[in-house]
Amino acid sequence: MEDLYAGIVDIRTARLDPAAALAFVSDARFGGIALFVGRVRNHNLGRIVTGITYDLFEPLVLKTFRAIDVRARAEVGEPLKLYVAHAKGDLGLEDLAVLVAAGTPHRDEAFRACRLAIEVLKHEAPIWKQEHYLDGDSGWSEGCSLCEAAPATERAPAGSHTNVGHVHGH
Amino acid sequence: MNLHLALYGALRDADPTGYLELEVPEGCTIGELREHLVAFLKTHTSQVSESAVRGSALATTDTILHDHDSIPRNGELVILPPVSGG
Repeated sequence: MEDLYAGIVDIRTARLDPAAALAFVSDARFGGIALFVGRVRNHNLGRIVTGITYDLFEPLVLKTFRAIDVRARAEVGEPLKLYVAHAKGDLGLEDLAVLVAAGTPHRDEAFRACRLAIEVLKHEAPIWKQEHYLDGDSGWSEGCSLCEAAPATERAPAGSHTNVGHVHGH
Repeated sequence: MNLHLALYGALRDADPTGYLELEVPEGCTIGELREHLVAFLKTHTSQVSESAVRGSALATTDTILHDHDSIPRNGELVILPPVSGG
């Protein structure tokens, strides 16, 4: 069985499933599992949000998820099981937008792998968020330029400087 | 050569078809293409800012291209504006 699940879920036909993520990373060798769930909240930058549309360039999203897996293994070691999935389409409030789960022998590696995966996803996966507001207006979120960062596939592993720690609102 | 540029995210506002057709000189690099794109969009639409184009990466279905890279022979490219997933 593969130790990585990388997926994109079209909201018109399915939903992200945290139970499936936890089941995938569960293993008799693992005492630690970390799960991150990202979902649509009702506000951003002082505006009332009523929903989000996610647009994805799927071939490179899936390639980025696979690169995240390689990098996580280089940083936290083996064994590791990783589940990374993102929703696409029109999501309503409280709908799940992203799931990351990591299973490892101990909690520290699980937390680190999960954190690394969601941060790299947010900064490097070609995914775009269009927020819809209560007043009927919509707007694409400010994001991270892929011109400025070496993609995960080209980045050195542990100990090197990364851009994933910077603070921003998206 | 004639290029087919697929649009994503905020750059979808550049054309309702979801893509642009652009003619550029043979041997053009990605960096030179970006300059052609900035000039083209100034006349094509007011919906996309120059900074949005300059902050966008160009890619194939397999990889992000750097400014010194050549344009792929099939002329098929994707423009990726700054990302905001999660």
